[in-house]
Order: sequence, then structure tokens, then C-alpha cells
Amino acid sequence: MTEERRGFRETLQKFTVKALKATIKGILLYGIYLVLTIFLTPVSEIVPSFQHTIETFVMIYICLMVVGELSAGTIFQHFLSAAKALFVIIYLIFALGNGVISVAFQNVNIVVNLRLFLVIAMLLSLVGFAKSMLQTINFLNEKAEPPHI
Amino acid sequence: MRIPIRMIGIATTFFWLFLIVFFVSAVYSVKDVRFDFEDPQMGLTADDKILFSLPMTIDNRGYYNIGSFNVTTEISDKQGYIITHGCTFISVIEKGGQTIATHNMIIDMNDLLQNSQDYLFNDTKLKVHETVGMELAEVIPVQISTNLSIHWGAPLYNFVLGEVEYATSNRTHLTVTVPISFENHAFFNLIGITEICMYNSTNASLGRGETTIEALQNAPYRGHIDLTVPMAGMTENGYFKVYYSTSFFNFGPLVFPYD
Repeated sequence: MTEERRGFRETLQKFTVKALKATIKGILLYGIYLVLTIFLTPVSEIVPSFQHTIETFVMIYICLMVVGELSAGTIFQHFLSAAKALFVIIYLIFALGNGVISVAFQNVNIVVNLRLFLVIAMLLSLVGFAKSMLQTINFLNEKAEPPHI
Repeated sequence: MRIPIRMIGIATTFFWLFLIVFFVSAVYSVKDVRFDFEDPQMGLTADDKILFSLPMTIDNRGYYNIGSFNVTTEISDKQGYIITHGCTFISVIEKGGQTIATHNMIIDMNDLLQNSQDYLFNDTKLKVHETVGMELAEVIPVQISTNLSIHWGAPLYNFVLGEVEYATSNRTHLTVTVPISFENHAFFNLIGITEICMYNSTNASLGRGETTIEALQNAPYRGHIDLTVPMAGMTENGYFKVYYSTSFFNFGPLVFPYD
């Protein structure tokens, strides 16, 4: 009974630490987002959908990050990390298309070429995805290794 | 294997941070870039073409240089005929600096009148396609374009010859007074010479006269030209040929019948 209680306490303690870590990371990321929003206000004034697009991205990214943190120490952490990297790639393609953004503002047409930014961001996401794959392989490797005597 | 994976993680995080900070700061610094366009000036080129000059000042108080700054203006008429095309290119606008440039456009009135005489006599609307391009932080290409409509004022709007008056000059010749009137709707003062040649019904030249016209912009002009013609050659009807010669253009003949 005492063993069970101790085990439960340890599990609860671990989960609390994970939850705390996830909360801090989430708040930190959201804080960075809020700071960046201030700097991107001129863009949001010209492109109303810009704020919404970024907000949706940040929300989903934070959710994936929090769930990933909560599942730390399991194989799901690495799956979620890979999903996070894939999500960034897909969302970038969804939001930026071919990287050329055209916005009509009154009688003025503004075209911004973000191809370079898109390519670098996608390459970084691909590196992130590869890292997640390596982490998964490493995790499975460590699990499969016989215990040292 | 953990250490290399961690190193990859640190490196990607660093690059992500660098990318986001660079992108955000590049966009943010646009607000500190000021474009001032002064009043357009008009002049003449060495070969008597109209020169539009648009002085502009670019004050780059942002964090980065601006590369490949260019302003392109294309003015065309309703039929799509390109009247003029001007392009100004500045390779780099240094951060913290001020760049002064002049955007020039040249209009050749003689070329314009070869396309259509309407520009002389009728007001119209012209289409202006304005494009401003630049590379923010020398890596993010941005292009801003707009279409405008501008008014073209005819320099010889409502040009007419009035009632011709005849007076005896001597026993053999008549003095013919031809009143001329028009409104100068153009953006420039019209200074030049108008020449009238008189012909009878058998196409024989009777005489010619000329006058100097000085019509201020957006002002009406009323004047007359006197011709001395022989009585012998006069017929009941005939025609006048009118020629214009100004510093901006030469035009003619314009035929006005009389009876």
C-alpha cells in the first residue's frame, strides 16, 4: 500500500513538473508572440488577416508544444515533435503559398516576395523534423538496449 | 547520439530566432522610412521636349539599408498608347541616411501629336501606372503599384477662327483680319507663333500672316492675324491653313474653310 502511494506520489510529482514546464514554455512563447505583435502592428493595419493567421499558428503551435511536454519521456513526445515540425511546414505553405503575397489596399497593390524567408523557414522545419526522427530512433534504441549489469 | 541531437536542436533554435528577429525588425523598420515627394517641376530638354521632374527625398531611419529602390511611371491614354515612361533607380539607400533623387519623365509633344491631334484640342484623361519597388534590408523584395487617372488639358482647347473682316489696303490689295481664339488648358504657358495662309477656291495662295501668341496656362486667348491679299485672286470661298510653332511642338496645317 505504501509502495503504491509512493509510486502515485512520484507520478503526480513528475506530472506536476511536466505541467509546470509546459505552462512556463507556453507562457514564454505567448509572451514572445505578444512582443512581436507590437512590432508587426503596421503590417496588421494593412493586412487585417495577417494577425488572425499568426494567432491561429501560435495557438496550434503552443497546444502541440504543451501536449508534447506533457508526454515527455514517452514515444509520443517525439511523434508530437515531428508533428510540430510538419505543422510548421504545412502552415507556411498554406499561409504563404508560393511566397509571393499580394495585398490590395484601397487603390494600392502591395506585393511582398517572401520566397527566401519561406525557403529558409521550411529548411529549418525540415531539420527540426529530421531531429525528431533521430530522437525517435534514439529513444527506441535506448529502450531496446539490454540493461547494463 | 543525444549530444548531436541536442546540438542540432540548439542550432535550429538559434537560426529560428535569428530568422524571426531579422524578419520582424526588417518589417518594423519600414515605419521609420520616409518618402517625401515634392511638387513636380516642368522644364524643357535641350531638344525641346517637355521634362517633368519629381524631386523626392528618401529618409531611411530604419535598421537596415534599402536595396534596389526604383520608381517607374508609365503614362498612357485610353487606347493604351504609352505617352511617356520614366524610371529612377537607386542601388542602395544607406540606413540612417537621406537620399535625394529626381524622377524624370520626358514628353515629346511632336510624337504625341503624330498619334492623335486630340491632345491639342480636347481635354482628356490619362492613365498613370506608378510602381515603387525596393528590397527591404536588401533581401525582401517589395513592390507597391497603383493606377491613377490624371487630367490632360488641351493647349488649344476650342480653337476657332472668328468672323473674317476685310478692309481695303490699297487699290490692289485687301487686309484680311482673322480673329483667333482658344483656351489654354495645358499645364504649361503656350508661347509661340501662329501662321495663317489663305487660299482661294482654285487652291492659289493669296497671302500669309503670322502672330506671336502668349497664352498663360488655364487662361483664354483672343487675338487676330492680319493678311494682305490681292483683290484679283479673291474668290467667294476658299480656305485657311493654320500652322503652330511653339517651343514644345510644331503642328499644321489645320484647314478652315471660309465663304
